[in-house]
Amino acid sequence: MKSPLERALRVFWLLLMVFLYAPLVVVVLFSFNSINSSARFAGFSLEWYQRLFSNDVILSALANTALLAVMSTLIAVVIGALLGYGLYRYRARRMAWLIWLIYLPVIMPDIVFGISEMTFFITLERLFGVLSPGLGTMVIAHVTFQVPFVALLIHARLLALDPQLFEAAQDLYARPWQRLRFFLVPVLWPAIMASVLLALTLSIDDFVISFFTAGPDSTTLPIYVWSAIKKGITPEVNAIATLMIGSVFVVALISLLLRRRSLTGRHLQ
Amino acid sequence: MTRLRRDSLHLLGTVAPGALCILVFLVAPSIYLMGMAFLSTDATGLPALPLSVQAFRELAGFGFLGWSPGNLYTLLRSLWQTLLATVLVILIAYPAAYYISIRPARWRPVLLLAVVVPSWTNQVIRSVGWMNLFAPGTPISDLAVLLGITEPRMGLFPSQFAVIVGLVYNFLPFMVLPLYAAFERLDHAQVEAARDLFASPLAVFRHAVLPQTLPGLMAGTVLVAIPAFGMYVVTELLGGGKATMIGNLVAQQFAAASNWPLGAAGALIMILATLLGLWVLRRLGRRLGGDREVVI
Amino acid sequence: MGAQRPDRGRDKASVVVRGVSRVFPGDLRALDRISLEIHAGEFFTLLGPSGCGKTTLLRLLAGLEVPDAGEVEIGGRAMAGVPAHRRSVNTVFQSYALFPHRNVRQNIAFGLEMQRVSPAAIARQVDEIAELIDIGALLERPVDALSGGQRQRVALARALVNEPAVLLLDEPLSALDAGLRSRLQVDLKRLQQRLGMTFVFVTHDQEEAMVMSDRIAVLDEGRIAQVGSPQAIYERPEDVFVARFMGHENLLAVTRHDAGGVETALGRFEGGFAAGTHLLLRPEALTLHADAPPGSSGNGFLARVEECLYRGAATDYRLRCGEVPIAARVTNAGRSQPGVGDTIWVEVAPDSAATLNARRHTG
Repeated sequence: MKSPLERALRVFWLLLMVFLYAPLVVVVLFSFNSINSSARFAGFSLEWYQRLFSNDVILSALANTALLAVMSTLIAVVIGALLGYGLYRYRARRMAWLIWLIYLPVIMPDIVFGISEMTFFITLERLFGVLSPGLGTMVIAHVTFQVPFVALLIHARLLALDPQLFEAAQDLYARPWQRLRFFLVPVLWPAIMASVLLALTLSIDDFVISFFTAGPDSTTLPIYVWSAIKKGITPEVNAIATLMIGSVFVVALISLLLRRRSLTGRHLQ
Repeated sequence: MTRLRRDSLHLLGTVAPGALCILVFLVAPSIYLMGMAFLSTDATGLPALPLSVQAFRELAGFGFLGWSPGNLYTLLRSLWQTLLATVLVILIAYPAAYYISIRPARWRPVLLLAVVVPSWTNQVIRSVGWMNLFAPGTPISDLAVLLGITEPRMGLFPSQFAVIVGLVYNFLPFMVLPLYAAFERLDHAQVEAARDLFASPLAVFRHAVLPQTLPGLMAGTVLVAIPAFGMYVVTELLGGGKATMIGNLVAQQFAAASNWPLGAAGALIMILATLLGLWVLRRLGRRLGGDREVVI
Repeated sequence: MGAQRPDRGRDKASVVVRGVSRVFPGDLRALDRISLEIHAGEFFTLLGPSGCGKTTLLRLLAGLEVPDAGEVEIGGRAMAGVPAHRRSVNTVFQSYALFPHRNVRQNIAFGLEMQRVSPAAIARQVDEIAELIDIGALLERPVDALSGGQRQRVALARALVNEPAVLLLDEPLSALDAGLRSRLQVDLKRLQQRLGMTFVFVTHDQEEAMVMSDRIAVLDEGRIAQVGSPQAIYERPEDVFVARFMGHENLLAVTRHDAGGVETALGRFEGGFAAGTHLLLRPEALTLHADAPPGSSGNGFLARVEECLYRGAATDYRLRCGEVPIAARVTNAGRSQPGVGDTIWVEVAPDSAATLNARRHTG
């Protein structure tokens, strides 16, 4: 027996799912449209994907997106993990200012973030001839907004650990580098993997900051889509969007499987 | 002595790269940008000496042609659209979070993921989805025409309506997550007691459920309202000039309009408004949420 | 150098602590000029209330803490400048601190792996220790699937497998329930006797300390109040703090002391007592009589029975003599016992009383 409230909630939930997924489904559907329209579906076609993969601009944008995401994630996870560890290890000291500093990129509006970096980089280039806008400046910008999230994740994981574990490792003859290799990194591994996934999605999800720090040769897929839709939605745009939606769903599936495996692993052994 | 020095070096080694990264590539640029607001413009719109408050005068609407309320309207519209979107997000997220919390435990992570996954896609792509749905000639637009909401042969976008939908769509998960966490901690004994004391479900909600979920609600409001106020993409793509917010005004000054000091003044106002909003919401949260700190 | 294991092959060592101090700004857990000698192969217990510094002292031995003054010697070797990972000392932590990312076997093997012992030797030693501690069936389990008692055994095995010169145990039984606790007390004591290893054990439970230890050091606010065998500490506590901490209640202020005896609120007690501020009457050394027996030594007093607590083998009595409450414990041997409200004669056996001082050490 279901209460009326529960039945009403179930209907509400289904409507919510329609609201959340309709825009994504429409994008995927019309990317296979055989005519150039986003109002009428005329028939199934892979034509737009073929065009996509023969367009050098799009292929280089794809490469830039991937390169930007991977490079910024690698740097941000190392710097962010160190920061999270430092924050934990020296939590007895007065480091409130550091917490504020870490939250700053999180609360700063994207548009202000992007524009400050743009004006900063342009000025640096004009004055010193360094850091001309391009993939390099984009990596710097992405690392800056990824680092806080990584640091907070690692810090939270460390706070959840028994502090005596660190002493147990010392007590059991582990030298400093052995503590890092055989204790700290393995014990933080789930948090490190979560940081990698989060940093990747943050980078791929970002448009505003990339847009303002990009140079002429560092167009990424979102930037390409942005300039393309200024001229109107085409099935080609939908095809690019479909690929990006697909990559997100792969990440979601991986995170779900990782979770499942860690759960079942605990019960089975 | 040596122990203290080794500790300090170690502290520096772990914290310095991250702290420097944020200091050099965020704090320094934003200070530079805020300073720019107090400069005048040269012939090309780039900042130049002498110091002046010209940018703020222009932001307030004083131009060559006398005073115009355009910028003031943009600021007010930003606040209004932020408020409207936040309220709508709360109204949708509340029952959604409650529904997830009463499902069997093994389904909850999957349902949460179902709410969150769309927000992992790129902002631009999400807007593309709504542009597809709201384009002229789509079933939804045709329905709107039938109901007399829009003119025939016009789509539902660009419009303020589309912007609000886009904002709600963007920020819904940030409200569902903290609210769900609050519902999961909900003390059901209190709800049962309230059910005995008050007959009406509304009274039960007001006296037992709302106070317990208020910290989650406040945390969610911070996560939704602060970034919604600074929105750029959704207003640009779905509003088409009809629902511009302050973020768009700022961006214009660095692109087409090319008036850097004016844009910097707008950015300064945005930073101040964000900090003020954060401060007010945290205070409110602390007062309403009792001793529990509102976590952003 | 990396392959060498510190102090390998030595199975027991003595510990010497000389004038060790450790101060934490704004914190009570400080140590004040502690000196101690722990013999090789001894089961030695640091006993005291929380905040007395016993855990700090243990951490100093482990090398997890550095003294501000004084020195520590283990097996005749000065430990100044020797970090925790170079000391042949292992600790069983209060929380057990089992590595969550490793299963039981990998947890036990951790210390040997860090010392670069060959995998074959590690497997053999882990199996041996698992058999000794009786956890062979748990070896392949993840640690979060273990009960409290099992975790305690794994933590013990993880420390013992390294054959340390000294084993440190930081309240290893405090998280367990009473039944399991008393069983493991006996197991741990037997294990120590079998291995002949030096154990330094920290606890705040005086009964646990008495059951297990060869010798006990009672700590009070960062200083050593008394060191001795369990019997000495219980029967001849040197000050009021130790007496109270060991559970004694019958402490009478001494009003006059001479060569023939002492005077207290309960009258005069004959005997050659040492000088002291208080007289201790041990509860189990008092005998209760319906009347003053003829020919008694005169060391006794009249009291009223206020409460009887039957405990099976013995009965605990709460007596009152005037304003002074007295506790007595009588073995139940089938004799008729006094009841509540009876007035009785309490006989103090000559060797059951001792004098002691308010506080032995002075600040």
